[in-house]
Amino acid sequence: MLEIQNLMVFFENALALNDFSMEVKEGEIVGVIGSNSAGKTTLMNTVSGLIIDMKIKEQRKGGERITIYGEIIFNGQDITDTHPYHRVKMGLVLARERHPIFPESDVTENLKIAGHQKSKSEIKEMTQYAFTLFPALSQLRRRKAGFLSGGEQQMLSIGMALVTKPTLLLLDEPLLGLSPMMQTMLVQAIQNLRKESGITIFITEQFARPILPMIDRGYVIENGMLALTGTGAELMDNPEIKAAYFGI
Amino acid sequence: MKRRRERIDRGIKVRSEDIFALCSWREMLYLAFPRLLPIVGLILLSFVLSIYWQKVLLSVSVFALLAISWDILAQTGMISLGQALFFGMGAYLAGIMNHTWGLSPFITIPVATVSGGLFCTLLLLPVLRLRGIYFSMVTLILPLMLVRIVEATKIFGGTEGLSGLGALPSRWVELYTVILALLAALFGLRRLMGSDFGLVLKGINDNDRSVMSAGINIYWFKAQALFIAGSVGAFAGAYMTHVYMFVGMPVFALDYSILPIAAAVVGGTGTLAGPMLGAFILVPLSEILRGLGGLRIVFYGLFLVVFTVALPEGIFHYIARKYHQFERWVEVDT
Repeated sequence: MLEIQNLMVFFENALALNDFSMEVKEGEIVGVIGSNSAGKTTLMNTVSGLIIDMKIKEQRKGGERITIYGEIIFNGQDITDTHPYHRVKMGLVLARERHPIFPESDVTENLKIAGHQKSKSEIKEMTQYAFTLFPALSQLRRRKAGFLSGGEQQMLSIGMALVTKPTLLLLDEPLLGLSPMMQTMLVQAIQNLRKESGITIFITEQFARPILPMIDRGYVIENGMLALTGTGAELMDNPEIKAAYFGI
Repeated sequence: MKRRRERIDRGIKVRSEDIFALCSWREMLYLAFPRLLPIVGLILLSFVLSIYWQKVLLSVSVFALLAISWDILAQTGMISLGQALFFGMGAYLAGIMNHTWGLSPFITIPVATVSGGLFCTLLLLPVLRLRGIYFSMVTLILPLMLVRIVEATKIFGGTEGLSGLGALPSRWVELYTVILALLAALFGLRRLMGSDFGLVLKGINDNDRSVMSAGINIYWFKAQALFIAGSVGAFAGAYMTHVYMFVGMPVFALDYSILPIAAAVVGGTGTLAGPMLGAFILVPLSEILRGLGGLRIVFYGLFLVVFTVALPEGIFHYIARKYHQFERWVEVDT
Protein backbone atom coordinates (compact mmCIF):
# COMPACT_ATOMS: atom_id res chain seq x y z
CA MET A 1 0.00 0.00 0.00
CA LEU A 2 2.69 2.44 1.03
CA GLU A 3 6.26 2.03 -0.05
CA ILE A 4 9.13 4.27 0.97
CA GLN A 5 12.33 3.86 -0.99
CA ASN A 6 15.72 5.26 -0.01
CA LEU A 7 14.26 8.34 1.64
CA MET A 8 16.78 11.03 2.57
CA VAL A 9 15.84 14.29 4.25
CA PHE A 10 18.30 17.05 5.04
CA PHE A 11 17.54 20.00 7.29
CA GLU A 12 20.23 22.34 6.05
CA ASN A 13 23.37 20.30 6.76
CA ALA A 14 21.80 17.88 9.24
CA LEU A 15 20.75 14.52 7.90
CA ALA A 16 17.39 13.67 9.51
CA LEU A 17 16.55 10.56 7.50
CA ASN A 18 19.32 8.51 5.93
CA ASP A 19 18.51 6.04 3.18
CA PHE A 20 15.32 4.89 4.89
CA SER A 21 13.21 2.25 3.16
CA MET A 22 10.07 0.58 4.45
CA GLU A 23 6.72 -0.77 3.43
CA VAL A 24 3.16 -0.86 4.76
CA LYS A 25 0.85 -3.54 3.40
CA GLU A 26 -2.95 -3.33 3.20
CA GLY A 27 -4.68 -4.07 6.50
CA GLU A 28 -1.54 -4.06 8.64
CA ILE A 29 -0.58 -2.14 11.72
CA VAL A 30 3.02 -1.10 11.21
CA GLY A 31 5.11 0.60 13.84
CA VAL A 32 8.28 2.63 13.64
CA ILE A 33 10.03 2.68 16.99
CA GLY A 34 12.74 5.17 17.79
CA SER A 35 14.01 7.40 20.57
CA ASN A 36 13.91 11.19 20.50
CA SER A 37 15.52 12.83 17.47
CA ALA A 38 15.64 9.51 15.61
CA GLY A 39 13.65 11.02 12.74
CA LYS A 40 10.15 9.70 13.47
CA THR A 41 8.33 12.98 13.06
CA THR A 42 10.36 13.87 9.98
CA LEU A 43 9.33 10.53 8.51
CA MET A 44 5.67 11.23 9.25
CA ASN A 45 5.85 14.76 7.88
CA THR A 46 7.50 13.46 4.72
CA VAL A 47 4.94 10.72 4.19
CA SER A 48 2.01 13.05 4.82
CA GLY A 49 3.56 15.75 2.65
CA LEU A 50 3.62 18.47 5.31
CA ILE A 51 7.34 18.77 4.72
CA ILE A 52 6.69 20.17 1.24
CA ASP A 53 4.83 23.07 2.82
CA MET A 54 7.61 23.53 5.38
CA LYS A 55 10.17 23.46 2.61
CA ILE A 56 8.49 26.19 0.58
CA LYS A 57 7.97 28.40 3.64
CA GLU A 58 11.56 28.05 4.81
CA GLN A 59 12.83 28.71 1.31
CA ARG A 60 10.96 31.99 1.06
CA LYS A 61 12.02 33.05 4.54
CA GLY A 62 15.63 32.19 3.70
CA GLY A 63 15.71 29.78 6.63
CA GLU A 64 16.88 26.19 6.80
CA ARG A 65 17.06 24.54 3.44
CA ILE A 66 15.20 21.23 3.32
CA THR A 67 16.37 18.71 0.73
CA ILE A 68 14.41 15.53 0.02
CA TYR A 69 15.55 12.54 -1.99
CA GLY A 70 13.89 9.18 -2.47
CA GLU A 71 10.46 7.96 -3.43
CA ILE A 72 7.15 7.53 -1.65
CA ILE A 73 4.72 5.27 -3.47
CA PHE A 74 1.10 5.07 -2.34
CA ASN A 75 -1.21 2.54 -4.03
CA GLY A 76 1.21 2.26 -6.94
CA GLN A 77 1.37 6.02 -7.46
CA ASP A 78 4.47 8.14 -6.86
CA ILE A 79 3.39 10.84 -4.41
CA THR A 80 6.81 12.24 -3.51
CA ASP A 81 5.90 15.71 -4.83
CA THR A 82 2.16 15.62 -4.15
CA HIS A 83 0.78 18.33 -1.89
CA PRO A 84 -0.57 17.30 1.50
CA TYR A 85 -4.19 18.17 0.69
CA HIS A 86 -4.10 15.89 -2.37
CA ARG A 87 -2.66 13.12 -0.23
CA VAL A 88 -5.54 13.49 2.22
CA LYS A 89 -8.00 13.17 -0.68
CA MET A 90 -6.17 10.00 -1.70
CA GLY A 91 -6.79 8.60 1.78
CA LEU A 92 -3.44 9.22 3.44
CA VAL A 93 -4.18 11.09 6.67
CA LEU A 94 -1.87 12.09 9.50
CA ALA A 95 -2.77 12.70 13.13
CA ARG A 96 0.09 14.95 14.14
CA GLU A 97 1.98 14.68 17.41
CA ARG A 98 1.19 16.79 20.49
CA HIS A 99 -2.56 16.71 19.85
CA PRO A 100 -2.99 19.61 17.43
CA ILE A 101 -6.66 20.47 17.92
CA PHE A 102 -8.49 23.78 17.53
CA PRO A 103 -8.62 24.98 21.14
CA GLU A 104 -11.32 27.62 20.59
CA SER A 105 -13.88 25.26 19.04
CA ASP A 106 -15.82 22.51 20.78
CA VAL A 107 -15.41 18.80 20.09
CA THR A 108 -18.09 18.39 17.42
CA GLU A 109 -16.95 21.57 15.70
CA ASN A 110 -13.40 20.23 15.63
CA LEU A 111 -14.59 17.07 13.93
CA LYS A 112 -16.65 19.10 11.48
CA ILE A 113 -13.67 21.26 10.50
CA ALA A 114 -11.53 18.17 9.98
CA GLY A 115 -14.16 16.59 7.74
CA HIS A 116 -14.80 19.68 5.66
CA GLN A 117 -14.00 17.77 2.42
CA LYS A 118 -16.66 15.18 3.07
CA SER A 119 -20.43 15.30 2.68
CA LYS A 120 -22.67 16.02 5.67
CA SER A 121 -23.92 12.46 6.00
CA GLU A 122 -20.37 11.08 5.90
CA ILE A 123 -19.26 13.49 8.60
CA LYS A 124 -22.23 12.48 10.73
CA GLU A 125 -21.49 8.83 10.25
CA MET A 126 -17.77 9.13 11.01
CA THR A 127 -18.39 11.44 13.98
CA GLN A 128 -20.73 8.83 15.37
CA TYR A 129 -18.06 6.20 14.76
CA ALA A 130 -15.42 8.28 16.51
CA PHE A 131 -17.73 8.60 19.51
CA THR A 132 -18.31 4.86 19.67
CA LEU A 133 -14.58 4.25 19.36
CA PHE A 134 -13.84 6.75 22.14
CA PRO A 135 -16.85 6.72 24.46
CA ALA A 136 -15.17 9.25 26.73
CA LEU A 137 -15.37 11.83 23.94
CA SER A 138 -19.12 11.55 23.45
CA GLN A 139 -19.69 12.94 26.96
CA LEU A 140 -17.71 16.05 26.00
CA ARG A 141 -19.36 17.01 22.71
CA ARG A 142 -19.96 20.62 23.73
CA ARG A 143 -16.69 21.12 25.67
CA LYS A 144 -14.15 23.56 24.22
CA ALA A 145 -11.23 21.47 22.90
CA GLY A 146 -8.71 23.69 24.69
CA PHE A 147 -10.14 22.55 28.03
CA LEU A 148 -9.83 18.83 27.32
CA SER A 149 -7.16 16.77 29.08
CA GLY A 150 -4.15 15.50 27.17
CA GLY A 151 -5.63 12.05 26.62
CA GLU A 152 -8.97 13.45 25.48
CA GLN A 153 -7.18 15.79 23.09
CA GLN A 154 -5.30 12.82 21.67
CA MET A 155 -8.55 10.92 21.16
CA LEU A 156 -10.03 13.97 19.47
CA SER A 157 -6.97 14.29 17.25
CA ILE A 158 -7.31 10.68 16.09
CA GLY A 159 -11.05 11.20 15.66
CA MET A 160 -10.36 14.24 13.48
CA ALA A 161 -8.11 12.13 11.26
CA LEU A 162 -10.83 9.45 11.06
CA VAL A 163 -13.52 11.87 9.90
CA THR A 164 -11.68 12.29 6.59
CA LYS A 165 -12.19 8.54 5.96
CA PRO A 166 -8.58 7.50 5.54
CA THR A 167 -7.43 4.26 3.96
CA LEU A 168 -4.03 4.67 5.59
CA LEU A 169 -3.97 6.38 8.96
CA LEU A 170 -0.65 7.81 10.16
CA LEU A 171 -0.35 8.27 13.91
CA ASP A 172 2.62 10.32 15.07
CA GLU A 173 3.41 9.49 18.70
CA PRO A 174 -0.17 8.82 19.80
CA LEU A 175 0.92 7.85 23.31
CA LEU A 176 2.90 11.03 23.96
CA GLY A 177 2.21 12.45 27.39
CA LEU A 178 -0.38 9.84 28.39
CA SER A 179 -0.45 7.81 31.59
CA PRO A 180 0.12 4.03 31.31
CA MET A 181 -3.58 3.42 31.82
CA MET A 182 -4.55 5.85 29.09
CA GLN A 183 -1.91 4.27 26.87
CA THR A 184 -3.45 0.81 27.24
CA MET A 185 -6.88 2.24 26.56
CA LEU A 186 -5.70 4.00 23.40
CA VAL A 187 -3.84 0.92 22.15
CA GLN A 188 -7.07 -1.04 22.64
CA ALA A 189 -8.98 1.58 20.68
CA ILE A 190 -6.47 1.48 17.83
CA GLN A 191 -6.78 -2.31 17.66
CA ASN A 192 -10.57 -2.04 17.62
CA LEU A 193 -10.33 0.54 14.88
CA ARG A 194 -8.39 -1.84 12.66
CA LYS A 195 -10.70 -4.74 13.45
CA GLU A 196 -13.91 -2.82 12.79
CA SER A 197 -13.04 -0.59 9.84
CA GLY A 198 -10.07 -2.35 8.25
CA ILE A 199 -8.07 0.86 8.07
CA THR A 200 -4.34 0.33 7.61
CA ILE A 201 -2.45 2.01 10.43
CA PHE A 202 1.10 3.28 10.55
CA ILE A 203 2.36 4.37 13.99
CA THR A 204 5.58 6.00 15.11
CA GLU A 205 6.23 5.83 18.80
CA GLN A 206 9.00 5.88 21.34
CA PHE A 207 7.16 3.76 23.95
CA ALA A 208 7.98 0.29 22.62
CA ARG A 209 6.33 -1.68 25.43
CA PRO A 210 2.67 -0.90 24.74
CA ILE A 211 3.14 -0.67 20.97
CA LEU A 212 5.12 -3.80 20.11
CA PRO A 213 2.41 -6.34 21.12
CA MET A 214 -0.18 -4.80 18.81
CA ILE A 215 1.81 -4.22 15.63
CA ASP A 216 2.11 -6.73 12.81
CA ARG A 217 5.49 -5.51 11.70
CA GLY A 218 7.91 -3.03 13.15
CA TYR A 219 10.92 -1.01 12.15
CA VAL A 220 13.46 0.40 14.56
CA ILE A 221 14.94 3.73 13.52
CA GLU A 222 18.13 5.15 14.96
CA ASN A 223 19.69 8.45 13.93
CA GLY A 224 17.54 8.45 10.79
CA MET A 225 18.71 5.02 9.72
CA LEU A 226 16.94 1.70 9.72
CA ALA A 227 18.45 -0.36 12.54
CA LEU A 228 16.18 -3.40 12.80
CA THR A 229 13.07 -4.82 11.28
CA GLY A 230 10.80 -7.75 12.08
CA THR A 231 7.35 -8.75 13.26
CA GLY A 232 6.14 -7.38 16.55
CA ALA A 233 6.88 -10.61 18.36
CA GLU A 234 10.37 -10.88 16.87
CA LEU A 235 11.21 -7.39 17.97
CA MET A 236 9.90 -8.07 21.48
CA ASP A 237 12.29 -11.00 21.81
CA ASN A 238 15.25 -9.14 20.41
CA PRO A 239 17.83 -8.65 23.19
CA GLU A 240 18.95 -5.26 21.87
CA ILE A 241 15.40 -3.94 21.92
CA LYS A 242 14.92 -5.34 25.39
CA ALA A 243 18.02 -3.52 26.58
CA ALA A 244 17.29 -0.25 24.82
CA TYR A 245 13.53 0.10 25.26
CA PHE A 246 12.49 -2.21 28.09
CA GLY A 247 15.51 -1.72 30.30
CA ILE A 248 15.88 -5.45 30.94
CA MET B 1 24.00 11.93 -9.23
CA LYS B 2 22.22 13.43 -6.26
CA ARG B 3 23.36 16.86 -5.23
CA ARG B 4 22.19 19.43 -2.75
CA ARG B 5 23.12 22.99 -1.93
CA GLU B 6 25.03 23.31 1.26
CA ARG B 7 25.26 26.44 3.36
CA ILE B 8 28.42 27.06 5.33
CA ASP B 9 29.40 29.81 7.73
CA ARG B 10 32.47 31.62 6.58
CA GLY B 11 35.38 30.27 8.57
CA ILE B 12 36.61 33.79 8.99
CA LYS B 13 33.55 34.60 11.07
CA VAL B 14 34.48 32.05 13.66
CA ARG B 15 38.02 33.36 13.84
CA SER B 16 36.92 36.96 14.00
CA GLU B 17 34.50 36.53 16.88
CA ASP B 18 37.05 36.85 19.63
CA ILE B 19 40.46 38.24 20.46
CA PHE B 20 41.72 36.51 17.30
CA ALA B 21 40.14 39.27 15.27
CA LEU B 22 43.03 41.46 16.26
CA CYS B 23 45.47 39.17 14.49
CA SER B 24 44.86 40.28 10.94
CA TRP B 25 43.65 43.33 9.08
CA ARG B 26 41.47 41.26 6.85
CA GLU B 27 39.50 39.84 9.73
CA MET B 28 39.25 43.15 11.54
CA LEU B 29 37.88 44.70 8.39
CA TYR B 30 35.43 41.83 7.91
CA LEU B 31 34.11 42.48 11.39
CA ALA B 32 34.19 46.26 11.30
CA PHE B 33 32.91 46.89 7.77
CA PRO B 34 29.18 46.38 8.46
CA ARG B 35 29.43 48.65 11.51
CA LEU B 36 31.49 51.32 9.81
CA LEU B 37 29.25 51.46 6.76
CA PRO B 38 26.34 53.35 8.37
CA ILE B 39 28.65 55.57 10.46
CA VAL B 40 30.96 56.70 7.69
CA GLY B 41 28.18 56.60 5.13
CA LEU B 42 25.86 58.89 7.08
CA ILE B 43 28.58 61.37 8.02
CA LEU B 44 29.92 61.64 4.47
CA LEU B 45 26.52 61.56 2.78
CA SER B 46 25.52 64.92 4.22
CA PHE B 47 28.45 66.61 2.46
CA VAL B 48 27.55 65.19 -0.93
CA LEU B 49 23.85 65.94 -0.94
CA SER B 50 22.14 69.10 -2.17
CA ILE B 51 20.09 71.13 0.31
CA TYR B 52 16.85 69.51 -0.88
CA TRP B 53 18.20 66.00 -0.41
CA GLN B 54 19.66 66.99 2.95
CA LYS B 55 16.09 67.73 4.01
CA VAL B 56 15.09 64.34 2.69
CA LEU B 57 17.92 62.72 4.67
CA LEU B 58 16.55 64.50 7.71
CA SER B 59 13.09 63.05 7.34
CA VAL B 60 14.57 59.67 6.44
CA SER B 61 16.44 59.68 9.75
CA VAL B 62 13.30 60.63 11.64
CA PHE B 63 11.37 57.77 10.05
CA ALA B 64 14.32 55.46 10.73
CA LEU B 65 14.12 56.40 14.42
CA LEU B 66 10.40 55.68 14.45
CA ALA B 67 11.00 52.35 12.71
CA ILE B 68 13.63 51.42 15.29
CA SER B 69 11.22 52.33 18.06
CA TRP B 70 8.54 50.18 16.40
CA ASP B 71 10.94 47.26 16.13
CA ILE B 72 11.77 47.35 19.84
CA LEU B 73 8.08 47.10 20.67
CA ALA B 74 7.61 44.36 18.07
CA GLN B 75 10.48 42.37 19.53
CA THR B 76 8.74 42.57 22.91
CA GLY B 77 5.56 41.20 21.37
CA MET B 78 3.68 44.49 21.22
CA ILE B 79 2.66 45.28 17.66
CA SER B 80 2.09 49.00 17.69
CA LEU B 81 0.00 50.73 15.05
CA GLY B 82 0.52 54.12 16.64
CA GLN B 83 4.07 55.38 16.40
CA ALA B 84 2.34 58.73 15.77
CA LEU B 85 1.43 58.76 19.47
CA PHE B 86 5.10 58.82 20.48
CA PHE B 87 6.00 61.23 17.71
CA GLY B 88 3.15 63.60 18.43
CA MET B 89 3.65 63.48 22.18
CA GLY B 90 7.31 64.49 21.83
CA ALA B 91 6.45 67.14 19.27
CA TYR B 92 3.76 68.78 21.38
CA LEU B 93 5.78 68.64 24.60
CA ALA B 94 8.76 70.35 22.95
CA GLY B 95 6.48 72.86 21.24
CA ILE B 96 4.62 73.76 24.43
CA MET B 97 7.83 74.15 26.44
CA ASN B 98 9.33 76.38 23.77
CA HIS B 99 6.14 78.40 23.25
CA THR B 100 5.17 79.06 26.87
CA TRP B 101 8.50 79.27 28.63
CA GLY B 102 10.75 80.12 25.70
CA LEU B 103 13.19 77.35 26.50
CA SER B 104 15.94 76.69 23.98
CA PRO B 105 15.71 73.59 21.74
CA PHE B 106 18.75 72.16 23.51
CA ILE B 107 16.66 71.91 26.68
CA THR B 108 13.26 71.12 25.20
CA ILE B 109 14.44 68.21 23.03
CA PRO B 110 16.04 66.17 25.86
CA VAL B 111 13.24 66.97 28.30
CA ALA B 112 10.58 66.12 25.73
CA THR B 113 12.39 62.89 24.94
CA VAL B 114 12.29 61.66 28.53
CA SER B 115 8.92 63.08 29.52
CA GLY B 116 7.38 62.01 26.21
CA GLY B 117 8.50 58.44 26.83
CA LEU B 118 7.11 58.68 30.34
CA PHE B 119 3.71 60.07 29.28
CA CYS B 120 3.35 57.46 26.53
CA THR B 121 4.15 54.69 28.99
CA LEU B 122 1.59 56.04 31.45
CA LEU B 123 -1.03 56.32 28.70
CA LEU B 124 -0.44 52.76 27.56
CA LEU B 125 0.02 51.28 31.03
CA PRO B 126 -3.61 50.11 31.32
CA VAL B 127 -3.36 48.18 28.05
CA LEU B 128 -0.05 46.42 28.80
CA ARG B 129 -2.02 43.35 29.80
CA LEU B 130 -3.57 43.14 26.37
CA ARG B 131 -1.85 41.08 23.75
CA GLY B 132 -1.77 40.99 19.98
CA ILE B 133 -4.49 42.79 18.08
CA TYR B 134 -6.03 44.39 21.20
CA PHE B 135 -2.84 46.27 22.00
CA SER B 136 -2.54 47.30 18.34
CA MET B 137 -6.08 48.65 18.31
CA VAL B 138 -5.53 50.81 21.36
CA THR B 139 -2.28 52.24 20.00
CA LEU B 140 -4.03 53.00 16.71
CA ILE B 141 -6.86 54.86 18.44
CA LEU B 142 -4.87 56.93 20.95
CA PRO B 143 -3.21 59.37 18.49
CA LEU B 144 -6.52 59.85 16.66
CA MET B 145 -8.13 60.61 20.00
CA LEU B 146 -5.48 63.15 20.96
CA VAL B 147 -5.95 64.98 17.64
CA ARG B 148 -9.65 65.35 18.36
CA ILE B 149 -8.94 66.57 21.88
CA VAL B 150 -6.65 69.28 20.53
CA GLU B 151 -9.20 70.17 17.87
CA ALA B 152 -12.23 70.22 20.13
CA THR B 153 -10.82 71.94 23.20
CA LYS B 154 -8.62 74.36 21.18
CA ILE B 155 -5.74 73.86 23.62
CA PHE B 156 -2.16 74.33 22.42
CA GLY B 157 -3.21 76.44 19.45
CA GLY B 158 -6.06 74.17 18.42
CA THR B 159 -6.31 73.59 14.68
CA GLU B 160 -3.73 76.27 13.91
CA GLY B 161 -1.06 74.77 16.11
CA LEU B 162 1.89 76.61 17.61
CA SER B 163 4.12 78.39 15.13
CA GLY B 164 7.20 80.58 15.32
CA LEU B 165 9.02 78.20 17.61
CA GLY B 166 12.76 78.33 18.20
CA ALA B 167 14.97 76.79 15.53
CA LEU B 168 18.23 74.91 15.83
CA PRO B 169 21.26 77.15 15.24
CA SER B 170 22.24 75.98 11.77
CA ARG B 171 21.54 73.51 9.00
CA TRP B 172 24.56 71.46 10.00
CA VAL B 173 23.61 71.26 13.66
CA GLU B 174 20.16 70.15 12.57
CA LEU B 175 21.56 67.43 10.36
CA TYR B 176 24.19 66.12 12.70
CA THR B 177 21.90 66.10 15.73
CA VAL B 178 19.59 63.65 14.05
CA ILE B 179 22.41 61.60 12.46
CA LEU B 180 24.19 61.19 15.79
CA ALA B 181 20.92 60.37 17.53
CA LEU B 182 20.12 57.78 14.89
CA LEU B 183 23.54 56.12 15.16
CA ALA B 184 23.37 56.18 18.95
CA ALA B 185 19.89 54.64 18.90
CA LEU B 186 20.92 52.01 16.39
CA PHE B 187 24.09 50.80 18.08
CA GLY B 188 23.00 51.42 21.65
CA LEU B 189 19.68 49.67 21.31
CA ARG B 190 21.17 46.81 19.29
CA ARG B 191 23.55 46.24 22.16
CA LEU B 192 20.69 46.55 24.65
CA MET B 193 18.64 43.95 22.80
CA GLY B 194 21.65 41.64 22.85
CA SER B 195 22.08 41.97 26.61
CA ASP B 196 20.24 39.98 29.27
CA PHE B 197 17.58 42.68 29.41
CA GLY B 198 16.94 42.31 25.71
CA LEU B 199 16.80 38.54 26.06
CA VAL B 200 13.93 38.88 28.53
CA LEU B 201 12.10 41.17 26.10
CA LYS B 202 12.52 38.67 23.26
CA GLY B 203 11.37 35.93 25.62
CA ILE B 204 8.16 37.85 26.31
CA ASN B 205 7.53 37.86 22.56
CA ASP B 206 8.20 34.15 22.21
CA ASN B 207 6.28 32.86 25.19
CA ASP B 208 5.18 35.27 27.87
CA ARG B 209 3.86 32.57 30.18
CA SER B 210 7.25 30.85 30.31
CA VAL B 211 8.84 34.16 31.19
CA MET B 212 6.29 34.58 33.98
CA SER B 213 7.10 31.14 35.32
CA ALA B 214 10.75 32.17 35.47
CA GLY B 215 9.65 34.63 38.14
CA ILE B 216 9.91 37.72 35.99
CA ASN B 217 7.33 40.48 36.13
CA ILE B 218 6.63 40.82 32.43
CA TYR B 219 4.53 43.98 32.87
CA TRP B 220 7.46 45.81 34.39
CA PHE B 221 9.68 44.75 31.50
CA LYS B 222 7.00 45.65 28.96
CA ALA B 223 6.67 49.07 30.57
CA GLN B 224 10.43 49.57 30.30
CA ALA B 225 10.37 48.57 26.63
CA LEU B 226 7.50 51.01 26.10
CA PHE B 227 9.48 53.78 27.78
CA ILE B 228 12.53 53.12 25.57
CA ALA B 229 10.50 52.96 22.38
CA GLY B 230 8.42 55.95 23.45
CA SER B 231 11.52 58.02 24.18
CA VAL B 232 13.02 57.26 20.77
CA GLY B 233 9.76 58.25 19.09
CA ALA B 234 9.36 61.35 21.27
CA PHE B 235 12.88 62.46 20.39
CA ALA B 236 12.00 62.26 16.70
CA GLY B 237 8.89 64.36 17.33
CA ALA B 238 10.59 66.97 19.47
CA TYR B 239 13.38 67.30 16.95
CA MET B 240 10.96 67.70 14.04
CA THR B 241 9.11 70.45 15.93
CA HIS B 242 12.25 72.55 16.02
CA VAL B 243 13.12 71.80 12.41
CA TYR B 244 9.71 72.97 11.16
CA MET B 245 9.48 75.60 13.93
CA PHE B 246 5.85 74.54 14.13
CA VAL B 247 3.76 71.97 15.90
CA GLY B 248 0.16 71.17 15.07
CA MET B 249 -2.33 68.42 14.47
CA PRO B 250 -0.43 66.84 11.54
CA VAL B 251 2.10 65.36 14.00
CA PHE B 252 -0.50 62.75 14.90
CA ALA B 253 -0.97 61.82 11.21
CA LEU B 254 -1.26 58.22 10.18
CA ASP B 255 1.95 58.48 8.09
CA TYR B 256 4.03 58.38 11.23
CA SER B 257 2.33 55.13 12.25
CA ILE B 258 2.24 53.28 8.94
CA LEU B 259 5.54 54.17 7.29
CA PRO B 260 7.73 52.84 10.13
CA ILE B 261 5.91 49.52 9.92
CA ALA B 262 6.39 49.34 6.16
CA ALA B 263 10.07 50.21 6.63
CA ALA B 264 10.48 47.48 9.24
CA VAL B 265 8.82 44.89 7.04
CA VAL B 266 10.88 45.79 3.98
CA GLY B 267 14.12 46.00 5.93
CA GLY B 268 13.61 42.94 8.11
CA THR B 269 12.14 43.00 11.59
CA GLY B 270 13.94 42.02 14.74
CA THR B 271 17.29 43.57 13.91
CA LEU B 272 16.83 47.35 14.40
CA ALA B 273 19.29 47.82 11.54
CA GLY B 274 16.73 46.32 9.14
CA PRO B 275 13.98 48.85 9.88
CA MET B 276 16.52 51.65 9.53
CA LEU B 277 17.62 50.27 6.16
CA GLY B 278 13.97 50.01 5.17
CA ALA B 279 13.39 53.69 6.00
CA PHE B 280 16.46 54.59 3.94
CA ILE B 281 14.90 52.81 0.95
CA LEU B 282 11.24 53.75 1.30
CA VAL B 283 11.38 57.48 2.08
CA PRO B 284 13.76 58.42 -0.78
CA LEU B 285 11.75 56.16 -3.07
CA SER B 286 8.61 58.07 -2.20
CA GLU B 287 10.50 61.33 -3.00
CA ILE B 288 11.69 60.00 -6.37
CA LEU B 289 8.18 58.85 -7.23
CA ARG B 290 6.88 62.38 -6.59
CA GLY B 291 7.37 63.06 -10.32
CA LEU B 292 4.63 60.56 -11.13
CA GLY B 293 1.95 62.75 -9.55
CA GLY B 294 -1.24 60.91 -8.68
CA LEU B 295 0.14 57.51 -9.63
CA ARG B 296 2.81 57.83 -6.94
CA ILE B 297 0.94 55.89 -4.31
CA VAL B 298 0.11 53.14 -6.82
CA PHE B 299 3.75 52.50 -7.67
CA TYR B 300 4.75 52.86 -4.06
CA GLY B 301 2.16 50.28 -3.00
CA LEU B 302 3.16 47.99 -5.86
CA PHE B 303 6.78 48.14 -4.76
CA LEU B 304 5.77 47.23 -1.21
CA VAL B 305 3.68 44.28 -2.37
CA VAL B 306 6.38 42.92 -4.67
CA PHE B 307 8.92 43.29 -1.94
CA THR B 308 7.00 41.55 0.82
CA VAL B 309 6.09 38.66 -1.48
CA ALA B 310 9.52 38.19 -3.01
CA LEU B 311 11.66 38.75 0.07
CA PRO B 312 9.53 38.12 3.17
CA GLU B 313 12.56 37.87 5.42
CA GLY B 314 13.53 41.49 4.68
CA ILE B 315 16.58 42.98 3.01
CA PHE B 316 18.76 43.07 6.09
CA HIS B 317 18.37 39.38 6.94
CA TYR B 318 19.12 38.54 3.32
CA ILE B 319 22.28 40.64 3.17
CA ALA B 320 23.48 39.41 6.56
CA ARG B 321 23.08 35.83 5.44
CA LYS B 322 24.98 36.39 2.22
CA TYR B 323 27.72 38.17 4.16
CA HIS B 324 28.22 35.48 6.79
CA GLN B 325 27.55 32.34 4.78
CA PHE B 326 28.37 30.93 1.38
CA GLU B 327 26.71 28.16 -0.52
CA ARG B 328 28.03 25.37 -2.66
CA TRP B 329 26.77 22.22 -4.32
CA VAL B 330 27.80 18.96 -2.66
CA GLU B 331 27.16 15.38 -3.59
CA VAL B 332 24.76 13.47 -1.39
CA ASP B 333 26.22 10.32 0.09
CA THR B 334 24.66 7.94 2.56
